[in-house]
Amino acid sequence: MSSKPFAITLDVGSSLANKTGSWRTERAVYVDRMPPCNHACPAGENIQGWLYEAEEGGDGYERAWRRLVEDNPFPAIMGRVCYHPCESACNRGQLDEAVGIHSVERFLGDEAIRRGWRLERAAEPSGKRVLVVGAGPSGLSAAYHLARLGHDVTIHESGPMAGGMMRFGIPRYRLPRDVLDAEVQRILDLGVRLELDKKVTDVESAMREGGFDAAFLAVGAHLSKRAYIPAGESAHVLDAVSLLRSMEEGEPPRLGRRVAVYGGGNTAMDVARTARRLGAEEAVVVYRRTRERMPAHDFEVEEAEEEGVLMRWLSTIKEAGDGRIVVERMQLDESGFPQPTGELEELEADSVVLALGQDTDLSLLDGVSGIEVEDGVVKVGPDMMTGHEGIFAGGDMVPDERTVTVGVGHGKRAARHIDGWLRAAPYDPGPRPELASFDMLNTWYYADAPRTEQPMLEAARRQGTFDEVVAGLDDANALFEARRCLSCGNCFSCDNCYGVCPDNAVLKLGEPGERYAIDLDYCKGCGICVAECPSGAIRMEPETI
Amino acid sequence: MLKQEEGSQAVAHAVAMCRPEVICAYPISPQTHIVEGLSDRVRRGDLSPCEFVSVESEFAAMSVAIGASAAGARAYTATASQGLLYMAEALYNASGLGLPIVMTVANRAIGAPINIWNDHSDSMSQRDSGWIQLYAESNQEALDLHVQAFKLAEELSLPVMVCVDGFILTHAFERVDLPAQEQVDAFLPAFEPRQMLDPADPVTIGAMVGPEAYFEVKYLMHAKQLDALDRIPRIASEFEEAFGRSSGGLVRGYRTEDAETIVVALGSVLGTIEDVVDELREQGVKIGALGIKCFRPYPLDEVRAALARAGRVIVLEKAWAIGVGGIVGQNVRLALSGLPVSVHDVIAGLGGRPITKRSLRALFADALADRLGPLSFLDLKRDVVERELERQTAGGRPGPHAENILKELGVVAARSH
Repeated sequence: MSSKPFAITLDVGSSLANKTGSWRTERAVYVDRMPPCNHACPAGENIQGWLYEAEEGGDGYERAWRRLVEDNPFPAIMGRVCYHPCESACNRGQLDEAVGIHSVERFLGDEAIRRGWRLERAAEPSGKRVLVVGAGPSGLSAAYHLARLGHDVTIHESGPMAGGMMRFGIPRYRLPRDVLDAEVQRILDLGVRLELDKKVTDVESAMREGGFDAAFLAVGAHLSKRAYIPAGESAHVLDAVSLLRSMEEGEPPRLGRRVAVYGGGNTAMDVARTARRLGAEEAVVVYRRTRERMPAHDFEVEEAEEEGVLMRWLSTIKEAGDGRIVVERMQLDESGFPQPTGELEELEADSVVLALGQDTDLSLLDGVSGIEVEDGVVKVGPDMMTGHEGIFAGGDMVPDERTVTVGVGHGKRAARHIDGWLRAAPYDPGPRPELASFDMLNTWYYADAPRTEQPMLEAARRQGTFDEVVAGLDDANALFEARRCLSCGNCFSCDNCYGVCPDNAVLKLGEPGERYAIDLDYCKGCGICVAECPSGAIRMEPETI
Repeated sequence: MLKQEEGSQAVAHAVAMCRPEVICAYPISPQTHIVEGLSDRVRRGDLSPCEFVSVESEFAAMSVAIGASAAGARAYTATASQGLLYMAEALYNASGLGLPIVMTVANRAIGAPINIWNDHSDSMSQRDSGWIQLYAESNQEALDLHVQAFKLAEELSLPVMVCVDGFILTHAFERVDLPAQEQVDAFLPAFEPRQMLDPADPVTIGAMVGPEAYFEVKYLMHAKQLDALDRIPRIASEFEEAFGRSSGGLVRGYRTEDAETIVVALGSVLGTIEDVVDELREQGVKIGALGIKCFRPYPLDEVRAALARAGRVIVLEKAWAIGVGGIVGQNVRLALSGLPVSVHDVIAGLGGRPITKRSLRALFADALADRLGPLSFLDLKRDVVERELERQTAGGRPGPHAENILKELGVVAARSH
């Protein structure tokens, strides 16, 4: 050392001797906040989680799919028919456009079918038997989760095919039947028994006879609501449920050249669009309020209009007769409720299809103690159990929004609670983490990336065919879309905190994905990592002294 | 090789011949052409191995040079004016750590008012930063001093600043003799760092030192500077031997042998002074000039010896300790203490104001007639100053001096002479 400059070149020392962590009054803490997509998903999917895996492409797709099916066994179906409240909630929507979550989900689902990925029965057999009534989305979802939890599951379905409203309500141009069949079959491959054409008329005796320890009821809502319309002898009036059902079994109905559809929901759109495909020259939707107040989703209305479906707002059907209907013009009053005006008009219509909503057939619960029914649906607790111990219910027969995704979510939630109930260890999902709101993000770090639109079948080609209208993404643009995810509230290993920490107090715990830790010996609590974390996955917490 | 060349390009050539391994710079007039020339050479691969680092500020430029030098690389940078001030803190670190960085300062005035033209305010402001300061008189000398500077810096392990008058030298085309690579290689040995950051042999450089050692480190810097007073003339004579021309050294006298009056100056203005000296000599006036080539370390003995026999010394300088007087003048008086020599400081050429032969003739005539006081200002527009001072005392809101003066002079915007 003596040959080196005096008091300038020194022995090796380190500023690590100065433990700057002692200056701290707040500490940085890594958190996993609730991404708004996950928060909004009725099926409780960990969307951010599976998008994170999909962002890697290649093998990441299978990992993404496996993560997805932990919550939902129907990615290919869901990616097509879900109204994706996740995308409405997506923080990216405030930046440019929401991530096309449904299109990536569909891609993963289709990949799984194409590549034959199988589900695994996760748990040891429990020795318990569970009866599921109804093979619709909710029943199949419950059966799937129960089977994976180790239970012996039998589904009793009154109809000739599985799928429920996914088959008898959603037209095939929105959900091809090979996709539906493939995802249902994967559940049956887990060992779930499906008994078709087996209507349960008395749930208690069915349970007794089959030796079931618990039951999950998901019979759906298949009874069309009627409206009183004075109709002549020769008037041709049908209901939407029967019409859509007959598309799947037996002969498609004869509707004539002009079809009037009464109602403003998604089912009305499905019926009108189906009518066009069956050859109706004119399909007109008659609805008593305005377009803004229509319950049908915008994209459904737009696609219907593209296909030549006509809309008649502010109108009610007064009378149906031979080849014609009489409609009355309505007017919205101050509270937005339609009031008759007395102005009548005649329209040509060979048939009228009522799409005014559905009721549920609860006769299987007649005489069962503790069951409460209100507004035609069965009351359930937060654990999806009815007032009768051991009988759970979900889907369209319980009070909630009636969508496939909500039904799938009910099935999952019920299965987890049934499992807890059967094991006498109540299921506790734990507290929900704080929502990762847009203001927690540092969006400067994300590259501009416009949303990938899915190709659509040209309107002119849709009329004569039930081919799928919306096409899927391919490997490359699915990857692009997955990578648009901002990973709200969850670390995605970007190394920003690692790079910006002025004290080198951020430690890498391993490979990307294995995250970081704060070295509290040196973290001064400056909060730069929090300010610069793109995804809002770090929080400052006061030190307790 | 003889060539008609711009000063900046000549300096770039010389620096390139010295094979720097790291060049980091932030552009500022009038230094820009030098680093442009070097970055071109690096880009083309003519200067290799060499890393050219474009930095975001002069502070970063000096910091990168410090890091590079501490890692054992021959490091070079260049700056001017505000850029030199911006790197001030790092200048002291470079000298305190004893890192042999070479830097060109293309001398330029300091704002405000902002002014890009030549004077010595910038380098004079850093005269006590612990750097060696060499001042070039001509483009040839600017070029030669860089070759000597690397050798000096690395022998002493101290940084060296080569001061080159902005525009007057950097942008002037003159005939220069450009050295060949073999010549420079033979003169300048490979850099052997006195201390080096090496992962295989870890040390700490420049960490905190307390009252027990700080003073000694500073004294050692002083001792090294005094050592430089011996090395600079030796390196200059080695250079003369190798390249066949005289450049650098501590001081250089011009017709001082029997001079009763000697004009002292730094940098390019010496040429004009020497022309006027020649004219006056023809008239029989015993006048000479003394160029101070190395201002830090200050060659006290050499200045004393050169001026001791003159009765009158005029120090013409392009910088100024405002509120005191000349900077070089103070140092000259220090060298002459105890001797019966009258010293006259003359501040001249600030902000690029031309120093003309006519003005010098008048100045020297005043001096010879004993009309020159201890501090005067060459070609200062006294009337403008008087009127502005008057305006400032008149009350109200008189506004900024610079704008008032430009308005009075009828100048729309500041422009070059």
